[in-house]
Amino acid sequence: MLCKIAELLVEVPEDAVDPVRFADYRLEGTGDPDIILDPTRYRPDLYPEGVSPEMLAYMETGRLFSVALLAHSGLHLHASAVELDGKAYLFSAPSGTGKSTHTRLWQQVFGQAAQVFNDDKPALRYVDGRWYAYGTPWCGKDGIHQNRKIPLAGICFLKQAKENRIRRLDAPEAMQKLLWQTIHRFRSVENMDRTLAQVDLLVREIPVFELENRPEPEAARLSYETMRRGAEEANL
Amino acid sequence: MKLSENFALRQVAGTWVVMPLGDATLDFNGMMTLNDTGAFLWKALEQGSDKEALVAALTAEYAVDAERAATDVAEFITMLANAGCLVE
Repeated sequence: MLCKIAELLVEVPEDAVDPVRFADYRLEGTGDPDIILDPTRYRPDLYPEGVSPEMLAYMETGRLFSVALLAHSGLHLHASAVELDGKAYLFSAPSGTGKSTHTRLWQQVFGQAAQVFNDDKPALRYVDGRWYAYGTPWCGKDGIHQNRKIPLAGICFLKQAKENRIRRLDAPEAMQKLLWQTIHRFRSVENMDRTLAQVDLLVREIPVFELENRPEPEAARLSYETMRRGAEEANL
Repeated sequence: MKLSENFALRQVAGTWVVMPLGDATLDFNGMMTLNDTGAFLWKALEQGSDKEALVAALTAEYAVDAERAATDVAEFITMLANAGCLVE
């Protein structure tokens, strides 16, 4: 099945087709794919025994897409992505530490103006001299996703804390945190070097923050105000 | 004393990082960064230097005496060994 994901033609194996998650990406007709997600390259050994075939296909197509994206000036980041005023703000954190909760707070505070367009793995690509965030079918357990392309304005790493506090990360800190939330196990030097080149370019152009926060609306106002200013200063 | 092939030194965002490579690193649980001296020693190890050669290289490159250099090299090697970066 042919899909268009992050402006790339992607051949997706039928076994991965989740009618809800992939519907917005599906293309009618044929074409010469930029990326082929090959089911013979699935790695069941990376998962606990008894993983369902559907889960395996979902996870492994996501992993293969992450790797393939590296050759197309792209990067898959583990994050919840929200759009406001035509700009994409990404919130990243280890699973279970509140990235979805935080983007829900944006929706609570800013209403319909804030749209969560991917809740787990948005794609980032450097296209025509700037970074864009894209919705993808790999969107986490809640299935929240929109097939959109939005200029990237900022990335924020979340940390649970007793008080709300935000700070801009310097390039080395931002680089290390980004590497940790993208692919960080490389089987080839080539893919490793592509990832490093992309992360290097990302931290040069995109402001990266760390938000210590409590799950409350005040934290959403703080991250938005700070990240919006950061984006303006960076001319994003 | 030899560096494991499961790690590679790279410079990203102005920082030296030791990157894990391959399946053997699935349990690797963090990222190691090196300062310029550490990177210098890593590259010397890549070239096949032993402990004595590392100490000599360090004293030649930086303004440190042999005793201090020996301490620094020993600490560096212990750190690499603990991180699983050495194979023998």
